[in-house]
Amino acid sequence: MFPTPIERTQPRTRFAYKVFLPIALILWLLPLLGVALTSVKPAADLDSGNYFGAPSRIAIENYWLVFKNSNIGYYFWNSIKVTVPSVLVSIGLSLLAGFALATYSFRSNLIIFFMIVAGNYVPYQILAIPVRDLPININLYDTTLGLALTHIAFQTGFCTLFMRNFIKALPNALIESARVEGVSEWRIFCYIVVPLVRPAIAALSVLIFTFVWNEYFWATIMSQSVDVRPVTAGINELSGEWKARWELISAASILTAAPPVLMFFLMQKHFIAGLALGATKG
Amino acid sequence: MKPVPAAPRRRRKRLDLTPWLFLAPAIMFFLVYVVVPIGQSISISFLEWDGLGEKKWIGLQNYQDLLKDEAFYVSLKNNLIWLVLYLLAIPAGLFLALFLNQTVTGMRLYKSLFFFPFVISNVVVGLIFSWFYTPDFGLMPKIIGFFTGEEIAVLANESLATYGIVAAGLWPQIAYCMILYLTGLNSINPELVEAARLDDAKGFKMLWYVILPQLRPATFIALVVTVIGALRSFDLVAIMTVGGPWGSSRVLSYFMFEQSLSEYGTSMGYGAAIAVVLFAIMLVFITMFIVRMIIQERTA
Amino acid sequence: MAKVKLSGIRKSFGQSEVIKGIDLEIPAGSFCAFVGPSGCGKSTLLRMIAGLEDITHGSLEIGGQEMIDVAPAKRGVAMVFQSYALYPHMTVAENVTFGLRMANHPKRDTEQRCLEAARMLKLEELLDRKPSQLSGGQRQRVAIGRAIVRNPDVFLFDEPLSNLDAALRVEMRAEITRLHAKLDATMLYVTHDQVEAMTMADMIVVLDKGMIEQVGSPLGLYHEPNTLFVARFIGSPRMNTFSVNLCDAGDGNVSCMLPGGSSIQLDGSSLRTGKATFGIRPEHLDVVADGHLQGKAVLCERLGSETMLHVDIGLADPITVKADGLTNVTEGDAVGLKLNPKACHLFGPDDRRVRSGSLQ
Ligand SMILES: Nc1ncnc2c1ncn2[C@@H]1O[C@H](COP(=O)(O)OP(=O)(O)O)[C@@H](O)[C@H]1O
Ligand SMILES: [Mg+2]
Repeated sequence: MFPTPIERTQPRTRFAYKVFLPIALILWLLPLLGVALTSVKPAADLDSGNYFGAPSRIAIENYWLVFKNSNIGYYFWNSIKVTVPSVLVSIGLSLLAGFALATYSFRSNLIIFFMIVAGNYVPYQILAIPVRDLPININLYDTTLGLALTHIAFQTGFCTLFMRNFIKALPNALIESARVEGVSEWRIFCYIVVPLVRPAIAALSVLIFTFVWNEYFWATIMSQSVDVRPVTAGINELSGEWKARWELISAASILTAAPPVLMFFLMQKHFIAGLALGATKG
Repeated sequence: MKPVPAAPRRRRKRLDLTPWLFLAPAIMFFLVYVVVPIGQSISISFLEWDGLGEKKWIGLQNYQDLLKDEAFYVSLKNNLIWLVLYLLAIPAGLFLALFLNQTVTGMRLYKSLFFFPFVISNVVVGLIFSWFYTPDFGLMPKIIGFFTGEEIAVLANESLATYGIVAAGLWPQIAYCMILYLTGLNSINPELVEAARLDDAKGFKMLWYVILPQLRPATFIALVVTVIGALRSFDLVAIMTVGGPWGSSRVLSYFMFEQSLSEYGTSMGYGAAIAVVLFAIMLVFITMFIVRMIIQERTA
Repeated sequence: MAKVKLSGIRKSFGQSEVIKGIDLEIPAGSFCAFVGPSGCGKSTLLRMIAGLEDITHGSLEIGGQEMIDVAPAKRGVAMVFQSYALYPHMTVAENVTFGLRMANHPKRDTEQRCLEAARMLKLEELLDRKPSQLSGGQRQRVAIGRAIVRNPDVFLFDEPLSNLDAALRVEMRAEITRLHAKLDATMLYVTHDQVEAMTMADMIVVLDKGMIEQVGSPLGLYHEPNTLFVARFIGSPRMNTFSVNLCDAGDGNVSCMLPGGSSIQLDGSSLRTGKATFGIRPEHLDVVADGHLQGKAVLCERLGSETMLHVDIGLADPITVKADGLTNVTEGDAVGLKLNPKACHLFGPDDRRVRSGSLQ
């Protein structure tokens, strides 16, 4: 292991490490801790200039006020309506595409694969004008479906890259053995590949959930009405309305961040495994 | 020898079609949402068009205007600042990863908490840092004030705003690089490190000659996501300063948004031209990355 | 049971040709082993027969039917992979019956065949386990069981024993041989281990660089290798070889100039003069006081039943001699070696046989 495991160093180093570790963490998360603290301060504290001290009492009502004073409840629901189908469909499509790219050697295989990789990295602005017009032409502008389709299109690229590498790492003999046994390609896909890539599906689900939930650019340009606007776009609008009501902005921020954070903690192993696959495969 | 029967030839045809059936839905999306729009955007960049009315072909006029537009140079300069400073996330992430690559009890939780900023939406990061930088409420002016005797509102300062935003962007990006390096460190064969120890490699030498070469895949991914992330930066600018003060923190992506996508932005042609320039810049990097990946795929 | 016939088979991956024209007829019911160094194209050849690789050129018949355009599953073959290729998410029974179930084979018969295969391979107790709960040898048996239930005409094995330890390998060797007798099927068996080929097969195909070096029975290859490559590949420890000069000694004999100055007269060589490669197996050399070759023992490997002597006779590599287990030669001793003229092989400058040392 590198660096030298701390248990094998001098007691003094070990002690210093154990003391410094929590301090480093607090410094690292200082902005976040500040916001969390502000979110439970009563408005009066801020008015009287208590910006950095402990709150005079824990004002949970800020969170309640956020819901009462804004449409954030709708925004949350909109985000869920966009995120969940995006995750499901993009993973489904990438399973199919990843299987094809990983197990068949046809001439344009690598070309398609690297086109998809490249597509993953283009700036959204080069796509934005036509993509925004796309749902307008088919009456899907400013609908959850229109926004979800956009997310699906862009996340499928990333998922395909990921799935293809994962399936390629499976022992090829598993698939060939089934072919010799006369199993159809579709059944090989359903009965062998899909069960074996479950870890990848889990990892991708968390990652894509986080990516789509947190997305801002498409959320702003593809949605306008209260029953479409996802929470990232919604909260930015609210912060403009609330100006200096930092206790409300803070509470809303914490609420917006909560679902991916929760997801991350529940499925931490898969989340890291997902990113790791990228790191060791690249 | 018996004559080869002709009928079964059909099977091969079908086998050739199979991958395309699996690929079809994904490729459809890819064509409709990526390939075709790139072409359309490029053609829009030669038009004068408000998005609704008549389209007028004006050739390279948009690009000529762009070259005379001060805002374009400001955005370009800011993109460069983003790119250079963002790269700091790589060594910083490596440093954090080395710091956290221990097996002290509770280390898993520490690692997750350090990773936290990456999980949070950029919108929230932007809001958090806006608060952090605000005069009176925020901590940052107090800290600056403590050292310089003058409380500075970072985001309201023309020459500091971009740096303030980049700092906010570095926070999640460092966390991302950290996790890439942590998993990379995890996959290094411990026997290799031990062999190096027996060869008396220590500290920085060990890092430089043994560990870093092993971490090359992680470094490559970190480089890709950092460069792409820097050039794509949009969210934080939109949330923290909306390009201000007086346009001083614009980047190309936000400049384009202002011109064509925002509430008052109706110059589709001009915006498309900006997007084409940004795309061209990124294409240089994308091509470099892809070439390396292809070489790797060939040798694998 | 089916005959397998390859005619003019070639295979290229992109620019590089890996199989360079194979003509071969494998009789129905035989146990045919393909041996050769790794990378010589054995797996590729087997995979072409299975239908997993396209055949670039040539024709393939199984049981008298052209197979080039027939799907793998329709060729009547079953394949056992080196890595076993067991599906990790299925139990042993599910693994064994997967192919039948996917083909909607009648349920009753599927179970019947599964039980029968399990009995044959002593897997009855393990049917509900997952592959991860099995030992290497057990996994190997499951892989074979999966092939058996399909009642194939031809079994294809790709180095099936190479992941097992030495003792298990010997055991499984015997087991596969027994199965061959019982199942009455044609078996094609790929291995890089000539001992496996020698002990199991009735027909051996030696491959090198994508071409057939020689086809024959185990003893045929051992005693009458056609090429220097086969001579050195078959047999362990390998045949001693060194270069010699030939000159015509009249009466149909040639005289070989051996290292160290002495010479030996051999009959029946088609090459009369010039450079040649001389070959003799370790067991055909006798330790004597004053023989054809003189040297010094540099290493004595005592195996009990026999002793392998490595004798330095002034060449780059020492000569291996199989001596009696109780020989009193020790390292450093000077030894003389007598050659049995009937066991001396000669290979011409193109490495093809010019004289066979078949002991006849
Ligand atoms: N899919 C492939 N693409 C390119 N070259 C291959 C492929 N499969 C095998 N080869 C090459 O073909 C040669 C023979 O391989 P193989 O049949 O696996 O050898 P063996 O099984 O005898 O060890 C090797 O040089 C190998 O590199
Ligand atoms: Mg092989």
